[in-house]
Amino acid sequence: MKPLWKRAYDWVDERVELGGLVEFMGKKYVPVHRHSVWYYFGGVSLFLFILQVITGILLLMYYKSGEEQAFESVQFITSKVQFGWLIRSIHSWTANLFILAAFIHMFSVYFTKAYKNPREITWVTGMLMFFLALFFGFSGYLLPWNELAFFATKVGTDIAGAIPIIGKPMLVFLRGGEEVTGATLSRMFGIHIAILPGIFTVLLSIHLLLVQRQGMSEPTHFGDETKGEMKTMPFFPNFLLRDLLLWLLVLNVIAILAVIFPWELGRKADAFGSAPAGIKPEWYFLFMFQTLKYIPAKISIIDGEVLGILAFGVAGMLWTLVPFWDRQSERGGRGRFVTYVGIVAVLFIILLTIVGWLS
Amino acid sequence: MAFVRYRLIQFVLWLIAVSIMPSGRSAIAQDQCRLCHEGIEDTPSTLFKKDVHAGMGISCVDCHGGNAKKELMEEAMSKAAGFIGVPKGDQISKICAKCHADAAVMVKKYNSALPTNQAELLSTSVHGKLSTTGKETIVHCTTCHNAHGIARVDNPLSPVYPLNLPKTCAKCHSNGTYVRSYNPALPIDQLDKYRTSVHGRKNASGDIKVAECASCHGSHGILASKDVRSSVYGTNIPATCGKCHGDAQYMSGYRIPSDQLEKFSKSVHGVALLEKKDLGAPACNDCHGNHGATPPGVESVSKVCGTCHALNADLFSKSVHKSAFDQRKLPECETCHGHHDIVAAKDELLGVTPEAVCSWCHGNKPDSKGFLAAKTMRELIDTLGISERDASQLVEKAEQMGMEVGEAKFKLREVHQARLESRTMVHSFDEKQFQEVVEKGLKSASTISDEANGAIEEYYFRRQGLGVATLIITVLAASLYLYVRRLERKQAREKRG
Repeated sequence: MKPLWKRAYDWVDERVELGGLVEFMGKKYVPVHRHSVWYYFGGVSLFLFILQVITGILLLMYYKSGEEQAFESVQFITSKVQFGWLIRSIHSWTANLFILAAFIHMFSVYFTKAYKNPREITWVTGMLMFFLALFFGFSGYLLPWNELAFFATKVGTDIAGAIPIIGKPMLVFLRGGEEVTGATLSRMFGIHIAILPGIFTVLLSIHLLLVQRQGMSEPTHFGDETKGEMKTMPFFPNFLLRDLLLWLLVLNVIAILAVIFPWELGRKADAFGSAPAGIKPEWYFLFMFQTLKYIPAKISIIDGEVLGILAFGVAGMLWTLVPFWDRQSERGGRGRFVTYVGIVAVLFIILLTIVGWLS
Repeated sequence: MAFVRYRLIQFVLWLIAVSIMPSGRSAIAQDQCRLCHEGIEDTPSTLFKKDVHAGMGISCVDCHGGNAKKELMEEAMSKAAGFIGVPKGDQISKICAKCHADAAVMVKKYNSALPTNQAELLSTSVHGKLSTTGKETIVHCTTCHNAHGIARVDNPLSPVYPLNLPKTCAKCHSNGTYVRSYNPALPIDQLDKYRTSVHGRKNASGDIKVAECASCHGSHGILASKDVRSSVYGTNIPATCGKCHGDAQYMSGYRIPSDQLEKFSKSVHGVALLEKKDLGAPACNDCHGNHGATPPGVESVSKVCGTCHALNADLFSKSVHKSAFDQRKLPECETCHGHHDIVAAKDELLGVTPEAVCSWCHGNKPDSKGFLAAKTMRELIDTLGISERDASQLVEKAEQMGMEVGEAKFKLREVHQARLESRTMVHSFDEKQFQEVVEKGLKSASTISDEANGAIEEYYFRRQGLGVATLIITVLAASLYLYVRRLERKQAREKRG
């Protein structure tokens, strides 16, 4: 008599031919080297995204969009719903950790030049998901309809509105009008729970499919070594179990953060009230916000803010298209220029974020 | 040579004599305007004879233009000579201001101590606004001072002499048709009310020290009472009244105290009005009246206080104390609360302790109904106070722990409201009614305390839950780690073997 799990497996295998997949996974190996640790951040990002989806769906059961109900419904979730406070706190903390993990994952791929041929599409889909993650954060931030969120959205959409030609229509589109109102809230809600998850799921599917299909990228020096010298580990079960181990540790960190530092709700947004002193965007937008503050109001005949936004736009585009212009890494070189650009970018982001945080 | 010197000295002395001779007299002597007009005995020239300006040597031409030295009317009153005829509209005040706004003229020429900013004050005052004709300001100098026959303010003939001023102002302010065209909400009975006031009665009997219109409103720079700069704006009224009523020397002849302003400033009303700038708090006029200012008196004090403290007054009038106070001719509110020095109504005023006002009458009769009621009511209100404090502390504690207690915090208002209501209900002096209000507050306080305690318990439950969850996850992670290690060792052995 076969054990129950074996019988269940055989039942599924008989219908969907799992054998091929298991065989594929069994042959899949993950390179082991001194930079292997960075491989785990893709998995951590995925885990955090899954947590976001689960907690988001749970919050959706009680959350009510609308100027008159949003704040009150979140207040109800945190004070009356069983474990509502925990779900909301986990959702908020996970959102931030997700973006942090995505930052780390993106930079690790960048510095190890894992974006090069044949993984250009993986990199581009990853970058698009990264931008969507930032937009996830921005749109979700307004949903509790509290004072900070209201004014941060006002400032954020104002910045978007400064972009030449498309700025104004974009501002009206994001706000659902000229001002931040209940219409903006409904719009952000729709974007946050339907549009972004839809696009994100498609991109994530392509991204994961490609990762599985192409396997983990090998460091440049692996190409010089013979097959016998290559150190690897099976993806299944070794890498997957290590991934699970890290996920458990991350879950522990989230639980501690959510309980010890529950996410505050603040005061309800008042469109006629004055903005709280020292209002700042979320930490992941802080380096851009701080940079715009340092740019002079006018540079020659161009508006300083416009120039700053355009510069960030161009930088983001070049960053996304790095597999297509980094010829040095493509040819098997170390791609020092790209590395230096990356180091400058990391230092710039860290420094400006700290300055923005302290100011 | 001595003759020449003698003649020279004689000439110099003549020059000095001519230069020091009053110029006015010489001007009058040469004033052809007055020669003719006084000859025909017209009203302006007749009045001008007694005008303060005539005495200063000011001629008709100083206001009307022309040449007073010319005998022929055509020459004297020609446009070429600058004759303007009767000044019209804003021209009037401008002509007055030519001298009255010029310190050099007023001080050096006329040795006057009059201020020189009257014209400026008038132009910025409520009277300096554009009239309904749209061509001139509402008031000119002559509106109050007259044109010819102007007398000093201390001259009983002057329309602005203290005894005459109420009538002068009333010329316009008691004219309903006229006032309505500027401010339909402005009353027109100020003079009538004033005549009923202590100020008005004394003024009518010839006392020039008592307040008249200008004493409170100012003269040239009068501003609307809702203008924050006005001397009769809510927060400025105590100081305006205090100018006289706070001056012991000035008030010495009236046999009334002069410490009202000092007492009022420290009172609950004074602190609210003067320090917190709360315009809802009463100023002097809210109790005494403004134009009809009179002390409220024993009979009507409760009615006066009752205009704001309506519920308290109503409860008191239905209470057992009403007849007791009436029999003893005690002023209702004032007996317990005082008048100018009213302190905030604290719970300590209630009860039979030495600082409680009830003990003044009931303190020495421990078995009396009043003593027992006061004692019970104080105990009840103290209990409510303690319950409110405890509930508030619990809510604060839960909030500091990071718990969401917004609703409980909001409900705290109900307890506070019950305390305020109970302080009002004291005036019924009915133990049962009072107890009902207090119990309502106690019930709310109890609910809030339960909610806050629940939040505090929840806080510890979360901590314990976190501990358990962390332990389970850690055990799981450790097991997984050991499993991976065992698996990899096994794989390594298999690879080697």
